[in-house]
Amino acid sequence: MTVRDSLALEGEMAELIVASLRLEVAPAEIDPEAPLFGEGLGLDSIDALEIALAISKTYGFQLRSDDEHNHRIFASLRTLAAHVEKHRAR
Amino acid sequence: MSWTAQPQRGGGWLRVMAVIALGLGWRAAQALLYPITLVYLASSPSRMRRASRHYLARALGRAPGLADMWRLYFAFAATLLDRAYLLTGRTAGYAITIEGLDAMRAHARAGRGCILLGAHFGSFDALRSIGGADAPVEIRILMHHHMADAAHAMFNALDPSRARDIISLGNPAAMIEASECLARGGVIGILGDRAPRGERMISVPFLGREAPFPGGPLQLAAILGAPVLLCFGTWLGPRRYALRFEPFAERVTLDRAAREASLTEWLGRYATRLEAMCRAHPFNWFNFYDFWQEEQPA
Repeated sequence: MTVRDSLALEGEMAELIVASLRLEVAPAEIDPEAPLFGEGLGLDSIDALEIALAISKTYGFQLRSDDEHNHRIFASLRTLAAHVEKHRAR
Repeated sequence: MSWTAQPQRGGGWLRVMAVIALGLGWRAAQALLYPITLVYLASSPSRMRRASRHYLARALGRAPGLADMWRLYFAFAATLLDRAYLLTGRTAGYAITIEGLDAMRAHARAGRGCILLGAHFGSFDALRSIGGADAPVEIRILMHHHMADAAHAMFNALDPSRARDIISLGNPAAMIEASECLARGGVIGILGDRAPRGERMISVPFLGREAPFPGGPLQLAAILGAPVLLCFGTWLGPRRYALRFEPFAERVTLDRAAREASLTEWLGRYATRLEAMCRAHPFNWFNFYDFWQEEQPA
């Protein structure tokens, strides 16, 4: 994966997040390094479930609650995209 | 004015009760309930006593006397004491009747979990008695993190291995965890009658007047998409409980276009059942704050 591919995946996932959560921001407005939860985008655990479902549908793998790295995975769009890049089945 | 301080207050007493109960045994702890209730009643802030009187007047349909206040506070103290036993599985001395378990078993047989929607009514922990002898069921309680912190502290004091029974919504993966539990055929408990500050409230009729209920719990139920049963563990007397399950919804669905209206409808149904339970067992409902927001802000 090149840097360009990673950025493309980030963009794609920003769209996925905005669409599945019906957010009122443009995907391009999401700062890939800003926190997704709490401050930043202000998502909560309900949103996390929606995102997990969308990811499993689109990329064919499950995010699991017992992953000890969850805090890091969900930290930002960038970290989430990196996780998807590593585990995606499609 | 914040009522969110109250769970903490309960939490502190809870730890005291747990230490007494597990250290001295149930009989000694039960005897201590009288002085403890007295101190608790005498030391509780006047706005808390006022709130209790307002509630009792509605549930009883008459002006409550000191004896009624005593019964409410005593029942509360008794359920705190019992928590120490119920949560740690020491249910041998308890007489707990169970009604409606078939409804839950049907879901379990179908290999799917269900959501138990409860209230700060009697002891939700009486639910623990369905584990053990019957089918061992995975029971997890979904809580807002303010409340989860206090519950965690208590679990750690009682039985650290049970601390994972609480799923804190403060954790981004909380709902994923809850949905995994349901997928395994487990049970997710949610209390529907109290919210942390800042949660969006929706007013529905409750005991004769509109009262704000949190929209969150039913929203969670809708998102998890599992069947919902109501669950009440009514305190009947020393070590006696009546645990009751009632089918509530095959699935809570919220109309996307009229979200508020459908939430109001579900909450109305919940409040109606809670009201009936409060009228039947008035000394079992433990929300010691201005639930109907009848007080003028100071």
